[in-house]
Amino acid sequence: MDKSMTLSDECPLDEEELNSRIFGDLEPVTWSNDDDTDVNMFFHRVDSDQIIYQTKKKRCKMIGKYVMGDLLGEGAYGKVKEVLDSETLCRRAVKILKTRKLRRIPNGEQNVQREIQLLKILKHKNVISLVDVLFNEEKQKMYLVLEYCVGGLQDMLESTPKKKFPLWQAHGYFSQLIDGLEYLHSKGIVHKDIKPGNLLLALDGTLKISDFGVAEALDMFAKDDTCTTGQGSPAFQPPEIANGHETFAGFKVDIWSCGVTLYNITTGLYPFEGDNIYRLFENIGKGEYTIPSEIENPLRSLIEGMLQKEPEMRISLQQIRQHPWFGRKPARTLEFVPVPPLREDEFHSMTVLPYLMEYHYGEDPTASDNQSQYITEHQLNEERKLQEQQNALPGNDGRRGGAKRRWRRPISCISVKKFPTCKQS
Amino acid sequence: MPLFGKSQKSPAEVVKALKEAVNALERGDKKAEKAQEDVSKNLVLIKNMLYGTSDAEPQTDIIVAQLAQELYNSNLLLLLIQNLNRIDFEGKKDVAQVFNNILRRQIGTRSPTVEYICTKPEILFTLMSGYEHQEIALNCGTMLRECARYEALAKIMLYSEDFYNFFRYVEVSTFDIASDAFSTFKELLTRHKILCAEFLEMNYDKVFSHYQRLLNSENYVTRRQSLKLLGELLLDRHNFTVMTRYISNPDNLKLMMNMLKEKSRNIQFEAFHVFKVFVANPNKPKPILDILLRNQEKLVEFLTRFHTDRSEDEQFNDEKAYLIKQIKELKPITEH
Repeated sequence: MDKSMTLSDECPLDEEELNSRIFGDLEPVTWSNDDDTDVNMFFHRVDSDQIIYQTKKKRCKMIGKYVMGDLLGEGAYGKVKEVLDSETLCRRAVKILKTRKLRRIPNGEQNVQREIQLLKILKHKNVISLVDVLFNEEKQKMYLVLEYCVGGLQDMLESTPKKKFPLWQAHGYFSQLIDGLEYLHSKGIVHKDIKPGNLLLALDGTLKISDFGVAEALDMFAKDDTCTTGQGSPAFQPPEIANGHETFAGFKVDIWSCGVTLYNITTGLYPFEGDNIYRLFENIGKGEYTIPSEIENPLRSLIEGMLQKEPEMRISLQQIRQHPWFGRKPARTLEFVPVPPLREDEFHSMTVLPYLMEYHYGEDPTASDNQSQYITEHQLNEERKLQEQQNALPGNDGRRGGAKRRWRRPISCISVKKFPTCKQS
Repeated sequence: MPLFGKSQKSPAEVVKALKEAVNALERGDKKAEKAQEDVSKNLVLIKNMLYGTSDAEPQTDIIVAQLAQELYNSNLLLLLIQNLNRIDFEGKKDVAQVFNNILRRQIGTRSPTVEYICTKPEILFTLMSGYEHQEIALNCGTMLRECARYEALAKIMLYSEDFYNFFRYVEVSTFDIASDAFSTFKELLTRHKILCAEFLEMNYDKVFSHYQRLLNSENYVTRRQSLKLLGELLLDRHNFTVMTRYISNPDNLKLMMNMLKEKSRNIQFEAFHVFKVFVANPNKPKPILDILLRNQEKLVEFLTRFHTDRSEDEQFNDEKAYLIKQIKELKPITEH
């Protein structure tokens, strides 16, 4: 290590030792002092052009027969990454669960076990399918290999200014939701957490009901669908749960959440709100809400039927199917909400490929010079500006041409590294 | 009117021409060959109105509405289906395409063709009897399954006497026809959950006495498929009442126990999924309990050695372990 550059020069030794213990597992970082006389200076200024981003190398990694790709998302339970099945060449998603992390979440392990058990029995085009389950005892990790989905309705809603879908698009998703839900109910499964965030889309736009973490499978011989526990998302819970009833009809809970979902995706609003969960449950418990005037019949009456305060009055799946709004597809308009791009890639192309390229061909030859591996903030900003200008040009689809490819996109995995020429003058 | 090429015929003209041609074909007089040609030609014209061609868009809604209206008024749909065996190969496919397109047509929330067929159920019965004739069976099958998507039409078919012919159709010796008939049969029994559950409850004895014959069929495929469908039907929550009734009958239990011992491993496996319901039932009627008790030891031994190579299938192993435990713990009902 270059001594002249380290802060440790003026620090007592034991502190250095202490630091090395604390930061031992971090990348070695060295700081430069640009004013040695200023002893009180605690924070050291580093010019933006001296911060270096290094593009992370795409090291090909395999879990079982699956080749790992980029991160797709992150939830409370762990990361979700894209993978490629090296035998069938199918794109998949893998949910990585750390046993240690799960133990810290209330009912965490139990919920995951239940989810695996349920997903194994389910087979329907509108229900996410579990392809494989792998364990790594050493790392204490569990891998759930699932069908690949490009995104969820929630992300799509959030990407639009009005947070809603045009009616024809909402209709398409809603009818698929009902198909999937009818299947779940026929298998005696109450999902209990239907909401846009749990409705994913496959590459071909098929809706997939996912997240069975709080779902309940009724006993095969249970006379009815009585349930006792509800742990779904508060804003989507029905009055009987908000009011703390000890038992309630499970299937009607899903109908209610579907009603809130339909309300949400067609208006961009929630029927019930509250500053905190107590207020929210108080409002839901009263069962009073308004539907914006822009929602006309028959959609209005369908939402009203699903958001009936009394479960017995709430319409059934069969009645939803027979409802006039369900039977008639609204005319397609030009308006369309796409799945938001993943890291600027609107085509959602496979992210496993760069890893395979690296594995088989080594470093990209065009990226062999030093510049492509070490990028300063200044350079990064210049590149961003350039790109924005290009994107603003009409007729440009936003994809970068071959000449611009010498830069790998600095993704989230940046690491601050020592700049070799950063010596004090 | 277009400047070049033939002027477009109006829907009324095409329908009239087609009807005359089909009538001529039916009479089978000397001009049969000419009639055949006319039928094919006019069918193509109608198909193009509905689907368009590579260089022409489908016709406007108004033209299609007129066409549909003409088809209803002239009763041509039924006539075409009745004479399907006389129409040439491509023509048969065109009939099915035209039929399915017209069936899917909607005005607002209404499906006018569905309403029309409800008033003319002969169309459905003629289609169902299509399975009797090899050369039109598959064409009728595609039309039937399209019809089965509509609850009103499925209901007519299920509740008709002709439905029971399916038990014969699914066993015919021509494999592709039998499979096609089976998929239609399955669609009718599973598509509209509430309707199907009501139908099975109301006609339990009749349906299941017919079903028993499928399960005892000489034909391996029939036996296996019908056993699989039985499992699906019984495990569907909508059919709860039917399931409880089915698992209360000792004859059904005996049949499943025999199927567990079948030569085919696939049949053994499917039978297991029905058999488990009998054992898992918390309120076993006495006759069922008696059979299980009489075979208690043999069953435990049998199940312990049953499909031991399926170690990958956790679900199956869990269920098997559960069944063994249940059977071991069986005790006769103590009389009070």
